Amino acid sequence: MFKLAFKNFLSSSGVKIGIAFLIITGLVSLVVGNQFLAKQAENVEATAAYQKAHISKNVQYHPDELGLLLYYVKFSLVNQTEPINSLSIGQRDVNPSIQSVTIRGLEGQKYDADLQNPSNLLLGNIDFSFVLIYLFPLFIIAFTYNIISEERESGTWKIAAVQSSNLFGLILKLFTVRFLVVVFTLFLTLFLAVIFLKIPLNTRFWLFGGVSFLYILFWFALSFWVASMSKSSSYNAVTLLSAWILLIIVLPAMVNSYLVSAYPVPEAMETTVKQRNGYHEKWDMDKKATIDKFYNHYPQFKTFGYPKEDFNWLWYYAMQQMGDDEAASESKALREKLEMRNRASTRIASFIPSVHMQIQLNEIAGSGLSNQLRFMDETGRFHEQLRLQFYPAIFKESPASSQQWEKFEIENFSDNSMTSATSAALPLVVAILLFSVLGWVRFRTMVS
Amino acid sequence: MPPQLLIARNFRSNALKNRAVYLLILFIGILITYAVITSWSGFVKQNESTAHHQTETRHDWLDNPDKHPHRMAHYGNFAFRPKAPLSIFDSGMESFFGNTIFLEAHKQNSVNFSEAGFSTGMLRFGEISVAMVLQILLPLLLFFIGFTSIAAERENGTLKIILTQGISWKQLILGKIIGLAQIAMGVFVPVMLVTFVLWFFLQDGHITSDETVRLLLVFLSYGIYLLLFCVIAVLVSAASKTSKSALISLIGLWLMLTIVLPRASQALGSYLYPAPVKVTFLANIEKDVLKEGDSHNPDDIHYKALKDSLLTAYGVDSTSQLPFNYSGFVMAEGEKISARIYNSHFDNLLRVYDAQNSFLKATAFLDPFVAIKNLSMSLAGTDYRTYTDFQKQAEAYRYAMAQKMNELQIKYISNKKPGPDEKPVVIDQKHWEEVPEFKYVQPMVNTVFEHETTSFFALLFWIGLLYFMIEILSKELKVN
Repeated sequence: MFKLAFKNFLSSSGVKIGIAFLIITGLVSLVVGNQFLAKQAENVEATAAYQKAHISKNVQYHPDELGLLLYYVKFSLVNQTEPINSLSIGQRDVNPSIQSVTIRGLEGQKYDADLQNPSNLLLGNIDFSFVLIYLFPLFIIAFTYNIISEERESGTWKIAAVQSSNLFGLILKLFTVRFLVVVFTLFLTLFLAVIFLKIPLNTRFWLFGGVSFLYILFWFALSFWVASMSKSSSYNAVTLLSAWILLIIVLPAMVNSYLVSAYPVPEAMETTVKQRNGYHEKWDMDKKATIDKFYNHYPQFKTFGYPKEDFNWLWYYAMQQMGDDEAASESKALREKLEMRNRASTRIASFIPSVHMQIQLNEIAGSGLSNQLRFMDETGRFHEQLRLQFYPAIFKESPASSQQWEKFEIENFSDNSMTSATSAALPLVVAILLFSVLGWVRFRTMVS
Repeated sequence: MPPQLLIARNFRSNALKNRAVYLLILFIGILITYAVITSWSGFVKQNESTAHHQTETRHDWLDNPDKHPHRMAHYGNFAFRPKAPLSIFDSGMESFFGNTIFLEAHKQNSVNFSEAGFSTGMLRFGEISVAMVLQILLPLLLFFIGFTSIAAERENGTLKIILTQGISWKQLILGKIIGLAQIAMGVFVPVMLVTFVLWFFLQDGHITSDETVRLLLVFLSYGIYLLLFCVIAVLVSAASKTSKSALISLIGLWLMLTIVLPRASQALGSYLYPAPVKVTFLANIEKDVLKEGDSHNPDDIHYKALKDSLLTAYGVDSTSQLPFNYSGFVMAEGEKISARIYNSHFDNLLRVYDAQNSFLKATAFLDPFVAIKNLSMSLAGTDYRTYTDFQKQAEAYRYAMAQKMNELQIKYISNKKPGPDEKPVVIDQKHWEEVPEFKYVQPMVNTVFEHETTSFFALLFWIGLLYFMIEILSKELKVN
């Protein structure tokens, strides 16, 4: 019986074309992912080479003045790109995955934007998450909108109803066949992704595959429920398409503009202006006052006292420090605002399966806003550590040769935090249960 | 009454009998209201904050005490990007653009703080704006209403009756198109009136002719765009055996035009023309600048030649004897070289981006959605051109500021370095006024014609193509 149902379903040329289209776009998404990984790798490689050359050139130019040398030298921190990242590129194309900073004020450096073509960003990547979230549901709709209605319209349903002793079983079977074919397509694409993009089969990957499976199941449950209302094929098609538009186009856009207006970030501009003024104004102020503030921040350096020269690097870096210190409250507020945005969007998303999927896939792949925030935090630690390491040598006026420059290679940040499987899966499971139970109840009353 | 108009009236009143159509129109109305309210408040907030910070930082600049001009060159200025008035209609790429750039000597900083950088993954689903509703949702509504237009008559058998009554295929098709277009205009015209009122009040009555031309072109091009979809709906319906197959074809077409084709062609463009990563871009600039002349290197040929020619011209044997500030002169030269090289690299980068976008642009001939999208952003001033124009104005301002400070240094700062116990050399703060305030000027509408010629021609092409299709189908179509 099942074999026949498969044969029937797959014999339609429309279905074959649909499956082929899904597989091809799936492959395209892997090529796009591969190009993304290659670009990230190229970026890291170029940065590593640049840092090396850049340090040795500056060491050669400024051998005696460590303070001046470190005015120029940039150190890079890389937000590591895991292969699974290429399946859900998320925010990684907007936000730079490499932060290059000097030991001067951090607030003036850490928000530096990446180079990018906004047309690419506006239209979005054809990554795997796009294929899964946008395209799979469309084909699920195309494969299921007329499951019963078509037969009813052509009059064959009555025959089937008379012949079959278990009509509900027949309906379930029709859905199951389509479900298996679509799930097979999904797993095939993921399997190819594992091979082609060398994705390690770790918890991240299984979670990624698991929620993708649930997302497919969600759309089948929705379609099952719509079919249970026994309306015409056109009605079903329009209803399901409207659901798709609502979930993929309208609701996300509305929620996004809500988030933007509910959590505006005026702190961004304020941080930059404060940082600039906090540092620059010190040039025209009493040196001792600035150095005292610096010693309040770092009491361990008090032993360096108050240099007498008109210009000295201790004072200079103390001024730089004041830029960060005076912008600290705005910077912290900005960080908190973004955290609030992130939390609010995750919470709202749990009611909108499409958005929930995008956010969870980004989380799992390490390409979402939370990854970006953690990377920014790590940049702060990285920068602080560099400062603490260099300050004593600068204040002692050690020569450049006092440092082991070859040690300063680019550093990596690998984001090990994991989303919980429950929070990723639960909203989908609830939605699936809701629609399948609703559909099941309706079908039962209809059949009996 | 000519038969086309009778058919149109009939079609319209039939379509409007359907309660679902009203529901959908109501839904679209609610969406537009929501879009208008959020973009209005976003516009007001951003422009207030931009203006506030621009004025505040101007005061900061002027309030600086007497100091060395080069300190001022590093104190620098900010440019904050205001939103264009029509961004309330089409937010375009706004969210992906930075809003703040710090302008200082020697260094071209990036424009930071784009909305996208602060976004969760949600922004990628697209944004809601009046333009988005008109570009994506309204055509679908027209398809939902129009799919039965002729196919249903065929199914019911009424088609035969109509055609035997002496009405030609062409009259029938035109009639249905007119009927559908009347419904489209019933939504479109009120939306445009609302846009007009908002646009008027946002500019506090200071309406420029440039902005007016932009708005009129928006009206015209969206009017054409929606008409195209009316024609497509009726023609597909006329060519389909059943209404169901007309519906499925139209839905498939809509998905291709609005979701698949634009993404695919942009992806192809960016795949074929990879853009440089930032570190390489900056390293190449640095390399070229050093090649031309390295002011930090005492043995550099370029600066040595410069020095020697100055010494000969003034008949002195060391730079400290020159009648002007030598290091200011060297910095002015360095700024000139690095700015020129940066600009040429930046232009090259823009050329790569143009190449990436060229596929999408050309897709306008396959897809009227792409034509209207590009055209609309450009008219609204929310496209990449307008943004690079902001970047270029900011860079020009930065350059003028840095050179002004170098000029002050050359003129007023003594060539002799002060000793360790002497007072540092400064100039009077009255000079800070000599640098004007940064004011962004939106480019004129004629730049839209330059950059969006393809989109204009694509719309014209579509008008021609569909006219041609009406002619052909009127002759070729069969009753069954």
